[in-house]
Amino acid sequence: MPQGETTYVVVGGGQAAAWIARTLRAEGFAGRLVLIGEEPHWPYERPALSKEFLRGTGSVEAITLLGAAQAGEAGVECWLGQRVTAVDREARVVTTADGRSVAYDTLFLATGGRARRLPGLDSLPAERVHTLRTLTESERLRGALAGAKHLLVLGGGWIGLEVAATARALGVEVTVVEAAPRLCARTMPPVVSDWLHALHESHGVRMVTGVGIADITGTADGVAVALADGGRLEADQLLLGIGIEPEVGLAAAMGLALDDGILVDAQGRTSDPRIFAAGDVARHPSAFARASLRLESWVNAQNQAIAAARAALGGTGVYADIPWFWSDQYGVNVQMLGLPGLGTRAVARGAPEAGSGCWLMLDGSGVVVGAVAVNAARDLRVLRKMLEDGRAPLPDAWADTATPVQRLPSRPNVRAD
Amino acid sequence: MTEWHDAAATDALSDDEVMGLSIAGVPVALFRQEGAFFALHDLCSHGAARLSDGFVENGCVECPLHQGLVDIRSGAPCSAPITEPVRSYPVRVVGDRVEIALDR
Repeated sequence: MPQGETTYVVVGGGQAAAWIARTLRAEGFAGRLVLIGEEPHWPYERPALSKEFLRGTGSVEAITLLGAAQAGEAGVECWLGQRVTAVDREARVVTTADGRSVAYDTLFLATGGRARRLPGLDSLPAERVHTLRTLTESERLRGALAGAKHLLVLGGGWIGLEVAATARALGVEVTVVEAAPRLCARTMPPVVSDWLHALHESHGVRMVTGVGIADITGTADGVAVALADGGRLEADQLLLGIGIEPEVGLAAAMGLALDDGILVDAQGRTSDPRIFAAGDVARHPSAFARASLRLESWVNAQNQAIAAARAALGGTGVYADIPWFWSDQYGVNVQMLGLPGLGTRAVARGAPEAGSGCWLMLDGSGVVVGAVAVNAARDLRVLRKMLEDGRAPLPDAWADTATPVQRLPSRPNVRAD
Repeated sequence: MTEWHDAAATDALSDDEVMGLSIAGVPVALFRQEGAFFALHDLCSHGAARLSDGFVENGCVECPLHQGLVDIRSGAPCSAPITEPVRSYPVRVVGDRVEIALDR
C-alpha cells in the first residue's frame, strides 16, 4: 500500500469524489490526499436538490457528505471553488485556474456532468430560466418558485418530473413538455411512462408529450414557448430538464479514451493506469448489461467510487452492481432495477399502476432484463438478489402476491449470445 | 430500573425475518437470527426509512432506501452510505414472549 509522501488527487467535488476520499482513508491510505472541487460547496449528495431541498424542508448540512470538520479529521485537503485547467500526465501535475498545482501519484477524475442547455436561451431573461444540477441552482430555483404561478418544464425525464412534483406541492401550476411521445422514454418501458403520465395528471400537471419546441422567447413577465404543433405556452418560470453532458473536457485534453464519458475498466481504471474515473462521468463495462454503461445515479456514484478507490490501493474487487435507481414523486417511491427499458413485456405483481406493486420486465426471449417497483422496495431488493445469483422468478408466478418473492419458483436468467 | 415491554410472541418470527413494532410509541425493528432475537430502532441512521422494511442477509439488514447495511446484533454500520450506528435495544425472552427494554 502506498504510504508516506505518496499523493493522491481527486478532481471533482461531488458524491463520487467524496466517496473516493472517504474510502481511501477508511482503507488506510496514509499519504497526502487532495480533493479539488469546482463548486464552492463541500461535497454533497444531489437527490434532495429536486425534492426536500427544493421544497425548503432540507438543509445543506443534511446533504453534505464531506464537511469541513470531517475533511479536517480525515486529513483531506479540499480545494473548493477551484477549476482544474490542466493535467500533465508526463510530469503528473494538476494545475488549477488560479495557478495552484499539485503533483500526483494516482489521480481520480470524478468530474460529473453539467445540465444540458438549448441554443438561443441566452437571449431570455436569466432569472426566468433554470437548470438543476447543483446546490446553487436548486437554491436559485427555490427562490424563483416562491413567487411563481406557472412553471414550464421542458423535458419529461426524472429531474423534470421530480421538480414538477415539488412545484405542485408548493402550489405552483406546472406544464411539462416532452418532445418524445412518452415520459422517461430513454430508460423506461411504455407501461411505466403511461403510469407516470397519469400520476402527474392526477396531481394537476398539464402534460404535453410528442410535441417539440419551435421557439422560446421572453415576455414582459416570463417566457413564452411556441410548440411545433402551433400551440403556445406562457409561464413565469422555465426549467430545462433535458439531461446532462458528462464533463469530459479535461479528460479529452489529457488524451484519455472517451466514448460518451471516460472509458474505465471494471475497477474504474482509465486508459492511463495511474488515473481512475468514477460516477456520472465514467463509462464502465457491465456484466449484467453485457455492454458498457454510463449511469447517472446516486448508488453508482457511491459504489463505483468506492471500487475505484479500493482498486487504486491494490484491491482486486470489481464494480459489478446491477443498475439501480430511485425517484420520489408525490410521496410515491419508484425504484428501478436492471435495464427495464429493454423489456418488451411487463408482468405486474400487485398493482403498481395503483400505487403498490412491481413490474417485471422481460425481453423478447423471456429473459428478465429489469423491474420497476412502486412503493415495493422490498420486492425489488429480493429480486435483485435473485438476478445477482443469475436467476429470475418464473413470469407466470410473479403475480402471486400470496408467496414472498424469495419463495417464488425461479429459473436461470441468462441472455442468449 | 429497566422496564421491559411486551413485544411479540416468540413464534411470530422465523430466522432472518424482521417485523416492525411500536413499543410505547417508539418504532422498533425486531429481528430473529439463529433463534435469538435482536431489536433496533426502526429508522435508518442515514435516511428516513424503516429498517423493518429492509432486506435481511448474513446478519445484516439492508436499508430499503439506499442499500446501506446495519449489523442486526449491534446496530453498527456495515456499508456505505451508513456511517452512524443505529440504536440497539436489549431483548429478553420470557416464556413464549419477546420483551424489549427502551430505557438504555
